[in-house]
Amino acid sequence: MTLPARDPGRIVAAAVSPAFEGLFRAEYARVVGIAHRVLADQAEAEDVAQDVFISFYRGHPADAAYARAWLHAAAAHAALNALRGRDRRSRREAAQAVPPDATAAQEDPAETVAASETREEVRAVLARLPERSAAMLALRYAGLSYAEIAAALDVRASSVGTLLRRAEDAFRRELR
Amino acid sequence: MNDTEIAQALGTAEPRVNTDDALARFQARVETEGIAPVASVARPRITSRWLQGLAAAAGVVIVASALTLSGVAGSILQIFEPKSVVAVPLTQGDLNYLGQACAGLNLQECMGAYGTFEWTAPPQPKEVSSRSQASAQAGFTALAPASLPSSVTGDPRYGVINRSTATFTFSADSTRQAAARQNRTAPPLPANIDGSKLFIAGGPAVVQIWGAPTSAPVSHGQGDLTDIPTLIVGQAKAPTVSSDGVTVDQLRAYLLSQPGISPQLAAAIRAIGDPSSTLPVPVPAELAISHPVTVQGVQGLYIGDNTGIASAVIWQKDGMMFEVIGSFTESQALAIANSMR
Repeated sequence: MTLPARDPGRIVAAAVSPAFEGLFRAEYARVVGIAHRVLADQAEAEDVAQDVFISFYRGHPADAAYARAWLHAAAAHAALNALRGRDRRSRREAAQAVPPDATAAQEDPAETVAASETREEVRAVLARLPERSAAMLALRYAGLSYAEIAAALDVRASSVGTLLRRAEDAFRRELR
Repeated sequence: MNDTEIAQALGTAEPRVNTDDALARFQARVETEGIAPVASVARPRITSRWLQGLAAAAGVVIVASALTLSGVAGSILQIFEPKSVVAVPLTQGDLNYLGQACAGLNLQECMGAYGTFEWTAPPQPKEVSSRSQASAQAGFTALAPASLPSSVTGDPRYGVINRSTATFTFSADSTRQAAARQNRTAPPLPANIDGSKLFIAGGPAVVQIWGAPTSAPVSHGQGDLTDIPTLIVGQAKAPTVSSDGVTVDQLRAYLLSQPGISPQLAAAIRAIGDPSSTLPVPVPAELAISHPVTVQGVQGLYIGDNTGIASAVIWQKDGMMFEVIGSFTESQALAIANSMR
């Protein structure tokens, strides 16, 4: 008789509650996606996501009605904090670390450098924008609906369109 | 730059993640760092909008504070200086009506339905580093709770709001135009009210906040990233309103003549025995409960939401208004209020 292979997911399930595991599995990719919009660095985005889930695990029940909204907001704010915390040198390094999805499309070194510079500038703009505007852009362009953004940032759903347009205008102005 | 270009600038590629590996990493960290999950009792989340509502009520108390009559013409009549506070329940109908009238709940726009609101000295909150600094800048001793529930931890942050003044001038034209925008007919503004002015003053005020997010960036793994304050304590010189002619009774009569005011609200307004010394605190009838309480030896007002998530205690003593707001039971909120020294 052979023992079944150990499944990492099952080990985890034995240690954290099923509700928390369900929440983690349902939201991890989304949380990473939000942080990735801000940081443009998958490894750093995954670090942020881990911190976000740790913070939630410490302070909130997994079945809280506000769990998803909390995680989305925390992902945006934590990523923005991490972005602002980068020193100039590490920001440059991160900008030049072209993500895997970009390497295939941009074989020309000049284009690669130009893309890196643009990414660096975009991150600098995000770091300068007011917190709510930057968070709104990160959430929206990570694919959240207006309703999800409203829940995460605790604003009226009917205001999201206006606030988003203002955030985009501010982004364009800063990027000029 | 259009939306597509913004999307491209922010990166269009979704990161590919391995959730099993991430969960294993999470679990390893929980075990290594000995991180315990939160207790099974759900910690309620007060939405910032709920707090904003309470803060708005507190703001009414604070902004409406301490008009000195020096420098104002001798014809000025002080028409309001609160000696007590009372809840005025607002029904959903009232809120809808006020929401229409207030066009987005901006104070100036809302007041604009009846005239012109102008800050002569706008409130300018600023943060200071200690209670003694707050007291020095406010010009009075800022009291602090001597005992706190275990849910309130850490040091508070301190804010000071300067003495703020505003003038409101009634306008029959504004009233007519606002009513027309809402496709309704408002009762005409009495001639003696049209053009008359109210002088409103509030502050100085001191606000102490526990559990507020710090302005410094939150580094990885530290603290709750979107936590809202656990306790807010406000203290302000009692507000005053003065007028260059109109009386409180005339204002009350005009307010009661407005269409859309519910019978409950009208009854509550009529029930205010002495409107010149009673501060009405609006309380949404369907969302919150309120009743008088004894606090610091005087009559105050308790407001709580129907789910028990948030509480506020408001009272007036020795010329000062006080508020305690947070996620507490009524007895906890009262214990905090009574421990203020």
